[in-house]
Amino acid sequence: MIHSYLMVSVILFCIGMLGVISRRNVFTVFMSIELMLNAANLAFVAFSRLHESMDGHVLALMVMAVAAAEAALALAVVILLHKHKGKLDTNVFSLLKG
Amino acid sequence: MVHLAKKSIKKGALDIMFADWLFILFTVCAVLGAAGLVSFRHPMNSAMSFVVTLISLAGLYALLSAKLIFATQLIVYAGAIMSLIIFIIMFLNIQNEDLPVEEGRLKNMTIGAVLIAPIGLFLMKVVKQIPGSDTVVVDPNFGGVKEVGQLLFSKWLLPFEIVSILLLVALVGAVVLAGKRGINK
Repeated sequence: MIHSYLMVSVILFCIGMLGVISRRNVFTVFMSIELMLNAANLAFVAFSRLHESMDGHVLALMVMAVAAAEAALALAVVILLHKHKGKLDTNVFSLLKG
Repeated sequence: MVHLAKKSIKKGALDIMFADWLFILFTVCAVLGAAGLVSFRHPMNSAMSFVVTLISLAGLYALLSAKLIFATQLIVYAGAIMSLIIFIIMFLNIQNEDLPVEEGRLKNMTIGAVLIAPIGLFLMKVVKQIPGSDTVVVDPNFGGVKEVGQLLFSKWLLPFEIVSILLLVALVGAVVLAGKRGINK
């Protein structure tokens, strides 16, 4: 029973990795990272159901807080870069100078 | 949904089937949403299909009887973070011609899938070897607000405080980064 949840978590993590390495749209890459964080959360919650201790739930809450902080900062950076270059291509953002 | 899952666990085989059907439904929705996220061209479509993934993940949490995480997932993730992302996507007013040209997208994704497949298979193998005890009944208070809160404020107090500092730093950083124009004036 727990194994199927962990399988879902692995599948979602792999899809997130695929999005990070194969797409160039900065928003898609960002949301793929969020997807990977969510897959990790699902694994935390599944393991805490397996061991019947709630530490995994607390860790999942921490991961959500980190994801919120990351979202705020990453979106600020995306707005700045869009102002500078007018593009959403991660290849354009590879040179961060000036 | 938590109640449904719990009742089904306590009752007979027919209701256990119901929980299994819910699991299959949420899994299919989550995986389809994730696939849409990586394959749609416009970020708005990607964000919408990501919301589907997040909501089905909340359903999976409910099936694992994690009540607090279920509510937090819906409120914080599917509510706050995704509306922030969608707000920024709409704020930048992205047209089709602003998007990066990705002609070889399908090819890239195929190559990426071939590269990632070994990692995925390895993780699957690891998952299969985890010893799992199929305890179907948990404490009815498992994952409730009170229990998780007690744990959060006793055993995890220091990480909790550190997270508050992290959020403060992120707030200041976002203001410094995005509010530059105001400072220059």
